[in-house]
Amino acid sequence: MTSKLTKALEFSNYRQTLNIQHNNLKSKVQTLLTYSINGGSFNIDLPLITFVEMLIKKEYDSVVLLDVYNNPIEITDLKDFLEEILSRYFEATNEYYAEYSKLKQSRKVHKLIDLELDDNTNN
Amino acid sequence: MTTQTTKGILIFAHNNDEIDYFKLATINSYYIKENLGIDNITVVTNQYSYDYTIKLLGKQFVDDAISNIIITEKDKAFKHANRRLYKDTSHTSKVLPFYNVDRCNAYELSPYDETILIDADYIILSNSLNQCWGHENDLMMNYKYQDIMIDRDDPTLQRLSPFGITMYWATVVYFKKSNYAEQFFNTVKHVRDNNQFYQDLYRWPGNLYRNDYSFSVAAHMLGGFVDKAIPQLPIPSLYKTFDTDDIHSSPSKNEIIFYLEKPKSLGDFVLCRWRDLDIHIMNKWAINRIGEEMLNYVTETTATTN
Repeated sequence: MTSKLTKALEFSNYRQTLNIQHNNLKSKVQTLLTYSINGGSFNIDLPLITFVEMLIKKEYDSVVLLDVYNNPIEITDLKDFLEEILSRYFEATNEYYAEYSKLKQSRKVHKLIDLELDDNTNN
Repeated sequence: MTTQTTKGILIFAHNNDEIDYFKLATINSYYIKENLGIDNITVVTNQYSYDYTIKLLGKQFVDDAISNIIITEKDKAFKHANRRLYKDTSHTSKVLPFYNVDRCNAYELSPYDETILIDADYIILSNSLNQCWGHENDLMMNYKYQDIMIDRDDPTLQRLSPFGITMYWATVVYFKKSNYAEQFFNTVKHVRDNNQFYQDLYRWPGNLYRNDYSFSVAAHMLGGFVDKAIPQLPIPSLYKTFDTDDIHSSPSKNEIIFYLEKPKSLGDFVLCRWRDLDIHIMNKWAINRIGEEMLNYVTETTATTN
């Protein structure tokens, strides 16, 4: 096999591993951004955060929100709820950022998956 | 005065000639205690499986992981009739008994008000299932799944037949002691007992009895013959591997490095580090191979495993 082809195959393996690791990260973030309270479940996203913030500005203390199942869920303390979803949002996105930065800098397959190997002998 | 509801995990684990499901359930129970903080774990098994694994791991070691063990009688005719192909990567495959007939008894067998029923090989590496407790929905299970190698797609895992109903995964089921959940499990039993009739009607392939099929049919019937009528678990997806994949190692707690078989190049693998997310591992031999390594992270005493 020519060295060009070998290099292309190595790069293909690298790209495939990178894609898998990136997708795993996304899955983890999605999981961290799911929040259940009072028998309902919410996806923590920008619309939810903005909507709750707006309700607080309009001086609502407690409201009924529709969760991901469209069940009506009573949120008795909106400020606490906002604090919780914001904290979870930042925890998830900060972790995503840190892990994603590590992935971007890894140029070898074993580095993508944090395996301790000799750089000169492995990809 | 408010009454405290009990919540717990239920696992069915019946060994066959090669696969020690009870050992898998024990490993998983240690991870459940660690990650979900749940001590109420019930394992339903049979005397043979129990004796075999106790001899291997020690009674104290098993008792430290599992709070309640229910011994049931095996239906020998079913055991011999229901056989499936198990793979340990594409290189090794074996036809072995697949004993899953009693999963629909989960409702009666569970001693808890709220139960999460999981497969022994659905390894709990996170606390995400804690989102289920106290939920408005009486029963939840997933039809959405994701292979951890994103570009591998198996359409047979999406529907019971090419034009059939959506397939639910009986791998993880949350249920509350309620009229609805009771009716659901009664319907599953009805489908199991009239398997041939429902297979003709819903046209799933093969002769193997699978809980995924009977749970899917029950979901369809109980949902008023509407597709996807039962709500999914409050997790984004069920993550899975294939039995053609292998495991490299478990480098730390809640981490597993997999060899994932390339879809268009059988026998070739890419590596994948899986971290802090629950995972359904189809290659049972592979889990048992790293069982001891995994146990080291969640137990103080080392198991005497094979």
